[in-house]
Amino acid sequence: MKRKRSTISIAFFILVGVVPFAAAFIYALLYSFGIVGVVNTGFTTQFWETVITSGEFFKSFAYSALIAALSVIISVSTALWLTLKFRKELDKKFLSYIIYLPLAIPGVVAAFFTYQLLSKSGFFSRIAYQFGWIQEARFFPDLVNDQMAIGIIITFITVVVPFFLLLFLNVYKNERIQELSELSASLGAKPNQVLWRISLPVILHKTWVLIVLYFIFLLGAYEIPLILGQESPQMLSVLIIRELKQYDLSKISEGYVAAVIYTVTVSVAAVILFSKRKRIAHEA
Amino acid sequence: MFLEVKNIKKAFHKEQVISLLNFTLEAHKTLSILGKSGCGKTTMLKIIAGLESPDSGDILLNSLRINEQAPEKRGIVYLYQEDLLFPHLTVFENIAFGLRIKKVDKNIIAEKVNTMIQRLELEGQADKMPHQLSGGQRQRVSFGRAIITNPSLLLLDEPFGSLDAGTRTRMQLLFKKLAEEFSITSLFVTHDLKEAILMGDEIGYMEKGNLKVYKDRDSFINDPMTGVQNEISFWDSLNTKKENEPMNEEVKIKNETE
Repeated sequence: MKRKRSTISIAFFILVGVVPFAAAFIYALLYSFGIVGVVNTGFTTQFWETVITSGEFFKSFAYSALIAALSVIISVSTALWLTLKFRKELDKKFLSYIIYLPLAIPGVVAAFFTYQLLSKSGFFSRIAYQFGWIQEARFFPDLVNDQMAIGIIITFITVVVPFFLLLFLNVYKNERIQELSELSASLGAKPNQVLWRISLPVILHKTWVLIVLYFIFLLGAYEIPLILGQESPQMLSVLIIRELKQYDLSKISEGYVAAVIYTVTVSVAAVILFSKRKRIAHEA
Repeated sequence: MFLEVKNIKKAFHKEQVISLLNFTLEAHKTLSILGKSGCGKTTMLKIIAGLESPDSGDILLNSLRINEQAPEKRGIVYLYQEDLLFPHLTVFENIAFGLRIKKVDKNIIAEKVNTMIQRLELEGQADKMPHQLSGGQRQRVSFGRAIITNPSLLLLDEPFGSLDAGTRTRMQLLFKKLAEEFSITSLFVTHDLKEAILMGDEIGYMEKGNLKVYKDRDSFINDPMTGVQNEISFWDSLNTKKENEPMNEEVKIKNETE
C-alpha cells in the first residue's frame, strides 16, 4: 500500500513537474534549430550562429549576472549586519512582524514603488526641486531605466533583504551562535575574531545554497527589470521575452536559442549545487 | 589561593540567583559542585568566566582582581553543557582554534593538535566534521579544544549530562587523566551525586545561590542536605530486599514440594 502510494506520488510529480518542463524545453530546442515554427523550413544552425555571433545574448547574460551578484552581495551583507547588530531588537514581536511585510509585496508592485520614488517625475525628484537642489526635474539623476541599473538593484535589495534577514535570524538561533561566540571569546578570541572566524562563517556555511539559489532567481527575474531596466543591454528574461514576441516571425527562433542556453546554464549550475549538497548530506 | 571568589551577588529581574558566594580553590585542584537545576550553578560559572557581570563582589585569580577583565583576556575557559563544537570546522581545526587566534606558528599548532588528538584517542578523526562524530567523541574534542590553550582555569558546566552511562564513565576517567597530566585547575558542576564525589578533589553543594564547600569527603557524605545518605539507604534497602527474596523463593518451592 505504502509502495503504491509512493509510486502514485512519483508519477504525479513527473506528470505535473517534469513533463511540462521537459516538453517546453524540447519544443524550444526544436524551435531553435528551425524544426518547428510557422516560418521555419527545416533543421538549421543559423539561429544559433546569429545569437552566438551577435553577442547581445552574452552581453545581456553578463549584465544580468552582474546585477544579480551585486544585489545578492549587498542584500546578504545588509541582512548579516542587521542580524548581528540588532538581533535582540528584531526579536521583539512588532519588529519581527514588520520584517514579514515586504515579503508579501509582489515584484511588480515593488518596481512601481521604486519608479514612483526615484524617477525624474517621482517623489524624491519633487523634494529635491522643492528644496532648490535641482533647477528642473530633468536634472534629477537617472535612478530608473538607467545604465547602472540602480533602480533594479535597489528594488531587488528591498525585496530580498527581509528574506535573508529572517533566514539569518533563524540560523543564529538554531546554530546557537550566541553560545558559540561566548565560547570562542572564552577560548581567547577578540570580538573581531569572533565575528570573522565564528559568526559569519557559521551563518554562511548554513545558508550558501540558498544564497546561490537567490542569485539564480534574480538572474531570471522579469517584472522588475522590465519596468525599471533600460533598452540595451536588457536583463535576460526581458531580452528573451522581447525576442519571442517579435513581429518578425523569423526572429522568434533566436529567442528560443537564448532561452535554451539560459535554461541549460542554470540547470547545470543547479545540478552541481545540489549534487554537492547531497554528498554532504550522505557524509552526515 | 589560586581562585578566590568573594561576596558575589547576582539578581535577574529582582530574582536573587546568587545570594552570597564565597569560596577559594587551590591551583591544580578540581572543585566539584553539586546542585539541582536552577540553583545558580551556571550563573556562577558565567560570572567567573566574565560572560555575566556580578552585581557585587570580587573575583581574584592569582591574587589579581579580574572583575573588569574581558572574557578573552582571563584565560578562563567555560565549557557548556553541550559540546558546542564549531560546525564549520573539522576536528583538527576545532582543537586548533585557540592556538590559531593567538597566531601560534603553524608547525607548532600541527604538533600540539596531533598530540592532543592522540591523547584524546581520536586518531583518524582529524579531518571529520563535528556532525560525523558520536556524542563521546564530540565531548572529547571539546575538552581538547579547551585544554590545548592551557587555560588557567577550566569551568565545566555538567559536561557529561547528555551522555549515556558507559560513555559518561569513560569520559570521567579521561578527564581525571587529562586533569592530572595537564595540571588543570577546574570547577566541575554536576547534578550527579556519584560524579561529584568521583571528579572533585574538593566537593561543594549549591542551593538557592549559596555554595557550601566541605572540608573533606566524609563531611559531604554525612551531611543530610547533599542527599548521599538517602542514596546509601536506597541501595542498602535494595540489597536487603535482594538478600531476602531468594530465601522466600526457596521456602515457597520447598512448601510446594511438600
